[in-house]
Parts: sequence; C-alpha cells; structure tokens
Amino acid sequence: MNYVPFAGSPRINIMQAIKALGATSPNTVLSFMKKGVFTPVVSQIRDTHLPAPNPTEKRPYSPFQDASNMAEMAVARLDDLLNWGRKGSLWPMTFGLACCAVEMMHIAAPRYDMDRYGVVFRASPRQSDVMIVAGTLTNKMAPALRKVYDQMPDPRWVISMGSCANGGGYYHYSYSVVRGCDRIVPVDIYVPGCPPTAEALLYGVLQLQKKIKRMKTIQVWYRN
Amino acid sequence: MSLGKFLALDKLSNFFNVIRQNGGIRASLYKLYRQDDVKDGVLVGEDKYGNKYYENPRFFYSRNRWVEYSDKYYLNYDGSQVPAEWFGWLHYKTDLPPHQDPSRPHYKWMADHTENLSGTTAQYVPYSTTRPKVEAWEPKRKDSV
Repeated sequence: MNYVPFAGSPRINIMQAIKALGATSPNTVLSFMKKGVFTPVVSQIRDTHLPAPNPTEKRPYSPFQDASNMAEMAVARLDDLLNWGRKGSLWPMTFGLACCAVEMMHIAAPRYDMDRYGVVFRASPRQSDVMIVAGTLTNKMAPALRKVYDQMPDPRWVISMGSCANGGGYYHYSYSVVRGCDRIVPVDIYVPGCPPTAEALLYGVLQLQKKIKRMKTIQVWYRN
Repeated sequence: MSLGKFLALDKLSNFFNVIRQNGGIRASLYKLYRQDDVKDGVLVGEDKYGNKYYENPRFFYSRNRWVEYSDKYYLNYDGSQVPAEWFGWLHYKTDLPPHQDPSRPHYKWMADHTENLSGTTAQYVPYSTTRPKVEAWEPKRKDSV
C-alpha cells in the first residue's frame, strides 16, 4: 500500500480533517445542511444580472443568447420554457399588514386588473409563488411572516411593498417594528412609496416577471 | 341618430377600420399578440427611440392616449422606456406634445433619458457620501481557536 491520502503523517491529518468537518455526530451534519449549503446554488440560479441593454439594439425574447453549442442551446430553451410558465402564472400570497394592503386590493380590482397577467391572489401559502409583504412588519408578526414564507414551495419570491416593509419607514425608530422585512425573508423586489400606488405595485410585479425570465434553473447544471 | 348607428352598424365599420389601420389581418394579429390590444388612432408623434404615440378621443379619458413601443423591443417593453418629454403628454399633464410646445426648457446639462436598468449590470446602487457616524467595534481575533 503506497497510497497516502494527505501529505505528512496520514493518521493525524485524517483525524484533523474529520474534526474540521464536524462529521462526528449526524446532528452537526444536519444543522450544517439546514444552515443553507444550497444557498450559493440557489442564489446562482436566481441572481443573474445581464449586461445593460443598448437602447438602439433589437431585443430578442430570450435573455440567453450566448449559446455556443447544441447542448447549451437546448438547456437555454428549456429554461426559457420554464421561465415563461413561471412568470405567466404568479400567484401571490397576500400578506396585507397595513394601509398598503388597500393598494394591493386595488390591483386586483378591474381598473388595474392583475388577472390579465395571470396573477391571482391565493390565500394558502402552500399554493402560492410570491409573497407580497404589504405594510408594517412588527416584531410580533415577524415569526408568523417567516412561518408563512417557510410554508411556501420553491421557487418562491417576495415583493416588499411600501416604506415600512422596505426599511421600517415611518416606524423605523419604534421599539416594536422590524426595520425592513428583508431582515426576516429574502426580498426580490422593493416597491417604494408610502403607500405605493397600485400602478407602482403592478410595475413591481412586472419587474419580478422580468427577473423570473432571467432565472437559470436548468443551465446551472450544465458546465456552469 | 342615423339608422346605422341605431343598429350598432358603426361598430362593424370601426372593426374593419381598426384592421385596415393596423395593416391587415396578419399585422393586427401580431399587434394583438405583442401588446394585447388593437386600436385605431391618430399618430401624434414619435420619439427618438422609435416609440409611437397615438390619440383617439372616441375612447374614454385615460384610454384615449397610448404608446406603441418600438418594434425592436419586441416583448421586452416597459413603462420606463417612455422618455420624459412624452411622459407629460401621455399622463395628461399637458395637451401639447413636445414638438408643438415652444416653452419647454432645453439646457445642455440635461441628461439623456435612460430606462429602468434594474437587474442589469448598469443598475443604480445607493451609496453614502458622508463619513459614517458609527465606528464599529472590531474585536481582536483570538489566536487559539
């Protein structure tokens, strides 16, 4: 046996490696997994920033235009199909906390009519894709918000609506208010305003659709 | 009221008029696919990005002025692609489109219009220009960990 796994004295180094990994008890491994080993993969899927568009250039439907071979082309088109399906039926979980919720009701009403974009309010977190946090998030409500977010199936998105949800807003210095709901859940779209108009929220929904269109769900598994 | 109008035959003539103005059945269907709407209207003007602005007082207020985004945007159009000169006309702040309004200021320091670049590498990221008021405490690292 000539095989030496590590340089130097093999036995000590292996023990050190096991100790460093914390693999002695299964509980540590489990907690390590819970703390988000998949976070880099998930953020790689979601956070795709494109180069700034030239205002005089033609813009094709798909944001993935740099395929160099057939396989890349195939996964890019599969991603396009997946993203088209996802952005065309965004079901928001209503998390109306304050006066912003009234504006959120307005985009469901006939004038702004979110149904035409396939956005339909769904009262159950298990069947919704996006959570619209509308209003002041208090310390007391924060665990409930996180629980509802955890109940939503992947892929899920969060729209933070209004100053209070973005960063505490008017209640920033209050003792009982969370200074921004991004301290509790990861936020995709921030809609400014106090309260934002229904138009602004609708624009936020459209921006989220744009963001979903850039997601690389399948492409990251091919030679990324 | 004429008999044709009484029998709602003007709707039929409007329909054919809309299809004719949008360039035939094929072009109308394409427009319907691209912007979910086909309307007839008077072309009021065009901005330098190629967006076209229309008006038709037959539609009720708030629907009677609209923009048809340039063909090069295809399905990637966005409300922020309307430049500032046309924004006021489109949102009923003024009745005069920019090429008919002599009183608009033109200074050489005025920046070019940019659309919303969020999500691209050119997006705006807020930053602070003042000295931080809080000095964070950085604890000394222990060597024996």
